[in-house]
Amino acid sequence: MDTLLFSERSIWTMLHGIVLGGGALVTLFAALFSLVAMRVPAGAAADAGAVDRQARYLAGLTVAAAVVLWLAVIVGTYVSFPPYRAAPPEGTADLSAYPRSLLLSSPGTEWLHGFAMEIKEHVPWIAAMLATAVAFVAARYRSAVLRDARLRRMAAALLGVSLALVAGAALLGTFINKVAPLE
Amino acid sequence: MTTPAVEDRSARTVGPANGAALAAFLAAGIGALAVGLFVILAETDLFSAPSLYAPAGGVSGRTTFAAAVWLIAWVVLHRRWAGREVEPRRVHVATLALVALGVLLCFPPLWALL
Repeated sequence: MDTLLFSERSIWTMLHGIVLGGGALVTLFAALFSLVAMRVPAGAAADAGAVDRQARYLAGLTVAAAVVLWLAVIVGTYVSFPPYRAAPPEGTADLSAYPRSLLLSSPGTEWLHGFAMEIKEHVPWIAAMLATAVAFVAARYRSAVLRDARLRRMAAALLGVSLALVAGAALLGTFINKVAPLE
Repeated sequence: MTTPAVEDRSARTVGPANGAALAAFLAAGIGALAVGLFVILAETDLFSAPSLYAPAGGVSGRTTFAAAVWLIAWVVLHRRWAGREVEPRRVHVATLALVALGVLLCFPPLWALL
């Protein structure tokens, strides 16, 4: 076969959106579910060894979520975003290689830049900060996160917010990529 | 903000002092607000963080500066609270409020109102 199936920037976009963005969604959801499912209610008798083991898994999961999310954010900002926003040369009629200009060229798709991409540029950074805070706490406090209701609730709240922000950004990214893919 | 350092172990069953955890949570909230502030300041032309990587444009400066604010806040809070028991309720409320405000400031329809 003498033609490439995918261009280099298309591969980077898939890495950003599917591998890293998808990976962040999966690990964030798994971490949130684990945090709730493995909680140790106050006063409940629990096998200390089992709780420690579960806390170790939870710590690994939250650290993985934070790392994957940071990779998605950094690849998105520094690898996928530059070709997205590249300005076409003067007089270019076919804007398909310039997604931002293509979106802005039609009133029907303008919102995909002015709303969707503007959110995608910034909000995932917030999600990554929240996931990092939870990963730090899960790694440092281990079983205390599963036993301490206040710590657990706050960690779950921040994981939930992070998951919601990433899910929203992923949905908007899908819309953008459907209309103006980086190919 | 005053330091909420009231001893409160009523809802805690076991484990180390909660200060380091609350420092991480609150710093994340401060980082979220920083992202929102750098965005809204740029949108209102009051302050644009310089671009640190030209192909990515202003977003590289806004997000890097916000990340720096987050890390500095985390270091400062961690040094103050690590090893101490901190009253969690106010920190939790403040963190969630900061996160909500940070996200809100990144919401483009808001920019049109300013």
